[in-house]
Amino acid sequence: MTYEEFADPRLAALLRYAVMLTGDPHQAEDLVQETMVRVQLNWRRVARADSPERYVRRMLTNQYIDWRRGSWVRRVLLRAEPDEAVPAPSDHAQSSVDRDQVWSWLARLPRRQRASLVLRYYEDLPDAEIADILGCAVGTVRSSISRALATLRTEYVEVCS
Amino acid sequence: MTERELRAAFTRHEALTPPAGPVRAAIDRVAAVRRRRRQRVRAAGVALALVGALGVGLPQLAPRPSPQHAPTVAGPSTGLPTGALNLLVLGLDTRSDGAPPSADSVLIVHIPADRSRPYLISLPRDLEVKIPGFQRSKLNAAFAYGAGSEHPDRSKGYDLTRRVVADLTGVRVDAGVVLTFSAMRKATDVLGGVEICLPQQVESVHTRRVYPAGCHRLDGAASLDLLRQRRGMPDGALDRDRNAQRFAAGVVRQVAEQGALTDPVQMSRILAAITPELTVAGNMSVPDLLRVVPELSSADPVGLSLPVVWPEVPSSPTSTGETGGLGLRADPQAAPAFLTALREDRLAQWAAANPERVTRLR
Repeated sequence: MTYEEFADPRLAALLRYAVMLTGDPHQAEDLVQETMVRVQLNWRRVARADSPERYVRRMLTNQYIDWRRGSWVRRVLLRAEPDEAVPAPSDHAQSSVDRDQVWSWLARLPRRQRASLVLRYYEDLPDAEIADILGCAVGTVRSSISRALATLRTEYVEVCS
Repeated sequence: MTERELRAAFTRHEALTPPAGPVRAAIDRVAAVRRRRRQRVRAAGVALALVGALGVGLPQLAPRPSPQHAPTVAGPSTGLPTGALNLLVLGLDTRSDGAPPSADSVLIVHIPADRSRPYLISLPRDLEVKIPGFQRSKLNAAFAYGAGSEHPDRSKGYDLTRRVVADLTGVRVDAGVVLTFSAMRKATDVLGGVEICLPQQVESVHTRRVYPAGCHRLDGAASLDLLRQRRGMPDGALDRDRNAQRFAAGVVRQVAEQGALTDPVQMSRILAAITPELTVAGNMSVPDLLRVVPELSSADPVGLSLPVVWPEVPSSPTSTGETGGLGLRADPQAAPAFLTALREDRLAQWAAANPERVTRLR
């Protein structure tokens, strides 16, 4: 399998996944771009993996978890890439995002917890595979998902009761 | 707050997903840039071999292989050298007046064990040194003393200079190369000229040509002319040494940009041009040296010089940078720390602590 054969059919799905992780289309693009550049440069190693797909997803997830969002160096460097590709979200989408409480609560979760939620409730992966992607034990995945849900529920109760 | 709502929130936000096409293009673009940069570092490392040993190998000391053997440069070798490496580069002033040749540029190319970047260390030719078997004299005389005056033997000249440098610095010299003016001129021309960035104007006393401050791309003859100049510069021969470092950095950049030495055709042209002019010595083979090169993480050299002081009498250098009969002395304050750093492979820290002693190379 060549890099192109791998990447072309999967790029859209990876971008969707990155949007769920980051909650932001710009950051999702940066994340996917950075990951896929490394995939392309190290393609031989990636292709040797049992499942290149899972390997890449793990790279992307780790990249997201380790990403120093606050670092201006990184932000400037990444933003220095031409930006014409980024679609401005339509007003409608933007306002619905603003109104979306669940979405903003997700943003406050630790990244590892958010990633496990996305993998289970968006990607619908079994816990064993989530554990493989996050590089931790299955039990750890379960506990971090239940902690994340507990946090969300607390917010929910505070706002809605 | 149910899991269903969570799923719904994710699905709702699928609309935020950016289109894949432009991202795909951006990935390819960035990957291409990084791939080129990687190759540049690799090629620049090879260029280091060129700076440190223009087309290294092809020893004159051992039976010299014919130029057809040049491709062995890329051939297999045993054992990758580890640890810090020091290459001694001597620039030879072959006099037309029949005087014995003297080594007017003495440069140590130091490659740290962590392979971070090359260091170019100039030893001033006017440094007063102890020459084994001869009286105290200036560093550049060691070559002439060693080579002898009847039928100058460059390998003996190199050898004596190497001993003096090893005694002076305490470092092991792993390999060395002797460059003549004409080898440098030819190599520069094969490269298509080299860009050199001067902090101050230089006027040639030989050709009257003026090289204004700033960056210039110079061909072989002009580079040579420039690198011979020391009169009229504030620090005389020391300024010339700095220009030699700038030239070496320019060679590295040039080769890096061209990828010249990763191109076997270009490589063999360079080798063919300079091989007859070159003397190489040491116990490292060419493939060994070249294999160090891809390990370097940066090809940008750091230019340093042995800290020196002018002799007491006359109290200051003359305008021509001559020191009369007396040679320069290693700076008793700064030199020991510098040499210790060199021996212990801690030049990065030393350079960081002494930024005023780092030569601006561009």
